[in-house]
Amino acid sequence: MKRHKNCREAGDSVILYPDNYINDIEGEKLEDMCDAFIARGFKKIIIDFANTDLINSIGVSILIGIIEKVRDKKGVVAFSSLNAVNRDIFNIVGLTRHISVYEDDEQAVAAQSERVLM
Amino acid sequence: MDLSLEKLLFNLNTLAELGEEITSPKDFTRVVKSALFMVMGSFFVSKGAIFQFDPDRKIFHPIASKGIGDAKGLSFSVDDLALREFVKHGKPVSVASRDYPANLLGPARVGLEKIGASLIAWLVVKDEILGMIAINEKYSGEAFTVYDHQLLSVMAQHIAFSLHSHTLLMKLMNKYNENQALYNNLRRIYYDTIHAFAASIDAKDAYTRGHSHRVSAYSAVLAREMGWEGDDIEGIRIAGLLHDIGKIAIDKSIINKASPLTSNECRELNSHPVVGYEILSKIKFPWKGVPMMTRNHHEKVDGTGYPDRLKKADIPIGARIMALVDAFDAMTTDRPYRPRLSFKEAMEEIRDNFGKQFDPDVVRPFLSVIKKEVLGEVESPSITPLLQEHLDCATVERLLGSFPSASMQA
Repeated sequence: MKRHKNCREAGDSVILYPDNYINDIEGEKLEDMCDAFIARGFKKIIIDFANTDLINSIGVSILIGIIEKVRDKKGVVAFSSLNAVNRDIFNIVGLTRHISVYEDDEQAVAAQSERVLM
Repeated sequence: MDLSLEKLLFNLNTLAELGEEITSPKDFTRVVKSALFMVMGSFFVSKGAIFQFDPDRKIFHPIASKGIGDAKGLSFSVDDLALREFVKHGKPVSVASRDYPANLLGPARVGLEKIGASLIAWLVVKDEILGMIAINEKYSGEAFTVYDHQLLSVMAQHIAFSLHSHTLLMKLMNKYNENQALYNNLRRIYYDTIHAFAASIDAKDAYTRGHSHRVSAYSAVLAREMGWEGDDIEGIRIAGLLHDIGKIAIDKSIINKASPLTSNECRELNSHPVVGYEILSKIKFPWKGVPMMTRNHHEKVDGTGYPDRLKKADIPIGARIMALVDAFDAMTTDRPYRPRLSFKEAMEEIRDNFGKQFDPDVVRPFLSVIKKEVLGEVESPSITPLLQEHLDCATVERLLGSFPSASMQA
């Protein structure tokens, strides 16, 4: 599916580009995709929301699932390209307290590439 | 209570989406899973499950879960007294609490702690517990507030209604399936009984073994060819099986007599359609016309048949169909007084009685269906496999071509 091709590898980071399907339980497949990258050794996961208009509670629960999985593997998750509404939502639910947020994916990749993970 | 307008709006939006989701016609498993995700997203928790209560086995079993691995084998019970107290209490319960009513959780606490459940809410409709929703602590580490408890209560109520509707639907489905099974069973018994009757009719005459089944099969295929559908075809199929039931009352020696019958014997034999009618008219068949098809299957379109000497338009169409296929089968099988006729001879006989004994409007579709079967245009042929000879296309074409066409008849 096109959707599942919405990802890109950049050095030791991988960037996922969910669109609005993250707001449906189908978005669980994004977690599976993360699992696959983690299994391949990726520990830096960037989720870019440039194509996501509005995140709902289902989307939030899927993101928590991803964060939990990546953290279990001692990896990091970063967000990029958040619009004002989504940024507010992440603030409301407390997500931004746990995640680094960047202006865009390039900035996120640059920041993550400097990061050394154990 | 410190609650921002944004947070209120987010929760309000979630409630609206939850309402939409649970009233959607989607698959129930998907609805419950979406509802769970909504709850988890609203409270920012990473683990959660929705359990359904099985009142027969008195256990809660998971119907949706997230973040707790394989939850399939996970189930637990809560005693009746405790359940009643939880309904009375009507609010979410902190699993870690040792106060009332959490202290009533009993052994269920172990199961809930195993999945990391921190807060549970009962799914209740009309004072009846249908299930439970369990979530772990917030990812942020913050404690659940009074507002969170209220929000979880409202969400649980939404989910409970969905579960209630689904349970009702399942009960209805089960009842429907039970009734369907009973109906099918009755139907099978009904058919078996009719087949047994048909076999007992045919058993009176060694020569007519299988006659009723063949008349039934031929009638049904001819009726279908004539545009009949569903129950009407089923009706003529049954009438075919029972059309000679009146022969039960006829002396076996008359039925099997090889020499010509005396006038008394002939009268007795010819009474079988009326006797059959009298037997069958007392039965309330789910199909129309079965007794009359039986009564009139020896009528002729020129009015010289029996018992009522009806002319074409007055003879029920089903009886006209049966008159043809009954005679066709009688001709193409051995009888005590003569060996069977060949297909060619039988067709010539039908042609000679075309418009006299047999209705042309019935004969033509009969010829048509035989032709289709011989040409291999029918997936499951019903007539030709029952004949005791192989028919080739050329002979059949030639024979059928010898019948008067509809325009000639007109």
